[in-house]
Amino acid sequence: MTEAKKIDDLKFDKKLKVAILSSFTLNGLDESLHVKCSKLGIKYHSHVSGYDQYNQELLNSKSDLYEFSPDITFLILDIRKFFGEYFFKLHTISDSEKESFLKEKVDVIENLIINFERNLNSKLVITNFNIPYYSPNGIIETKMELGFHEIIEKMNRAIIKISKTHSSVYVYDFNLFVSKYGEKNIFDYRQFHMGDIQIALNFIPYFANDLMSFIKPISGKNKKCIVLDLDNTLWGGIVGEEGFDGIELGHTPNGKAFVEFQKELLSLWNQGIILAINSKNNFDDAMKVIEEHPDMILRKKHFANIQINWNDKAENLKKIAEEINIGLDSIVFFDDDKVNCERIKFEFSEVLTIELTDEPSEFASILKDLNDFNVLQRTNEDRKRGEMYSEQRERKKFEKTISNLDDFLKGLEINVKIKKSSNFLIPRISQLTMKTNQFNLTTKRYQEEDIENMTNNPSISVGCAEVSDKFGNNGITGVYIVKKDEKFWMIDTFLLSCRIMGRGVENAILSQILLDAKKNNVEEIRAEFIPTQKNKPAENFLSEFGFEKQNNIWIYKLNNEIKLPKHLKVEIE
Amino acid sequence: MIDDVYQIVAKVFAIPESEVNDQSSPENIESWDSFNGLVLVDELENHFKIKFTISEITDVKNVADIKRHLKNHDVS
Repeated sequence: MTEAKKIDDLKFDKKLKVAILSSFTLNGLDESLHVKCSKLGIKYHSHVSGYDQYNQELLNSKSDLYEFSPDITFLILDIRKFFGEYFFKLHTISDSEKESFLKEKVDVIENLIINFERNLNSKLVITNFNIPYYSPNGIIETKMELGFHEIIEKMNRAIIKISKTHSSVYVYDFNLFVSKYGEKNIFDYRQFHMGDIQIALNFIPYFANDLMSFIKPISGKNKKCIVLDLDNTLWGGIVGEEGFDGIELGHTPNGKAFVEFQKELLSLWNQGIILAINSKNNFDDAMKVIEEHPDMILRKKHFANIQINWNDKAENLKKIAEEINIGLDSIVFFDDDKVNCERIKFEFSEVLTIELTDEPSEFASILKDLNDFNVLQRTNEDRKRGEMYSEQRERKKFEKTISNLDDFLKGLEINVKIKKSSNFLIPRISQLTMKTNQFNLTTKRYQEEDIENMTNNPSISVGCAEVSDKFGNNGITGVYIVKKDEKFWMIDTFLLSCRIMGRGVENAILSQILLDAKKNNVEEIRAEFIPTQKNKPAENFLSEFGFEKQNNIWIYKLNNEIKLPKHLKVEIE
Repeated sequence: MIDDVYQIVAKVFAIPESEVNDQSSPENIESWDSFNGLVLVDELENHFKIKFTISEITDVKNVADIKRHLKNHDVS
């Protein structure tokens, strides 16, 4: 807590406004979140509501909470206060009274959420309730028509149901938090009686860590790629010394631990996390294990990039980031060797470096305890990302067989489908604005709620592009947002996923916007380029297309001819 | 061992250890409010591997009281 006071916030570029509403004493949470955000380079601003003031804050549209206008609000409730005197007498009332009590309580929550959504366009995280281990019904708890535990379970299910129909609402599973650490540790009667503290003080940092699972993706600090060492990381022993049959993988206790670790990695890959290899090894020895070892879970097709050589690991890592085309700050690096880890930490502090222990049975837990891979929504593009990257490897191979870039592009048979935003597309459009850094003219970040509002606004055009070629479908990979005035249109957002950069897709999308504008008798298109540390790839796009700079605005007069790229096909939906 | 109390008090209330003595109390340490008082309890319990009763905690008026109660838990 003293650490929070020393932080110099001024050096951070990302800003996040966090509100904490709770029904019990949660001192220390604010400070813990502040420290954790600062470590990630997030400038943290907070509003902490007064003790048990959440009703007033949420129901009064002029409250300090709404005045503060947070990006994310945590609503942290406890079952004792929420159920009031009924917490101790639920088992004494009739089943129909229980049902009507439950309904009343669900309505209370729903009403709070409706008020929140009426006043704010941001995320609300609500906790569910801890199901206490004790039941006054004892061993006949489950024989009851509606047991004590069952009532709270029903309450929790109702909260989950609400979150499914309100897109801005997320549920934090507080009940799981308590079961992970144990109710007897989390709930300390002395702290409860002395200060209404319902999460024991020494567990506040763990609680804050869990809440960071939401803060990381909202601030774009989530990780997208795991780079792995091989020896003593994916298998036990050193393949160059012990040989194909000598490494530990599979049937021994340690061997099973490596298999478990690989299975967890595979499950992340299935959710869209990219995997890559960075290993000092003889290429042939290592690839033989990856391709032929009967107990390998991860195979060649799971790795978007493979660097197996005797080069400097930092060089390799940089190459991986460049070839996959993602920022170093999106990478987690796993290695068992202290020197390698120090080397990466020293060279690239933005990479999250995990030094594995010499106990392989811990690896799976170490991986699962990272809360850096969370996303606010999962789209079809995420689920297919693994396949898309192996298609990408095939494209690269094709690129090498053809020497002329135009021939290469023609041979790709690119098809660009322009689509207007719709309910189905909003999550992906928002996601692309949140995470696209390189080919992005303005780097404006929009939550789903923002995209929804703009989609419904007739003077704003929100669209996206689905790009496919002969190797496969890249999915929705481009987004534009145009603010339309009678005489001129302003490009608010124009971005392209790094996966499809350098194929003329950007020109195809922009020329369609121009054609559309011309049809509507618009005289000029205006655009802005807001430079960041990462969007250099988009720097010359406007001038190369034919925009001219006046003051800080790029302008394209629509009486000029509009060039259309010839090597690709454009469809409009 | 019991003299570690000064160091822990200094850490919790973010003041120099030299300013802590047996007469230190919420009266003369500004950051010693009821919440930080509970943080202090937590730190002392973790450090000395003991558990105070609520009566002991609410009885504490200054550092001398803390030392007295620690002695009851065989910390010397």
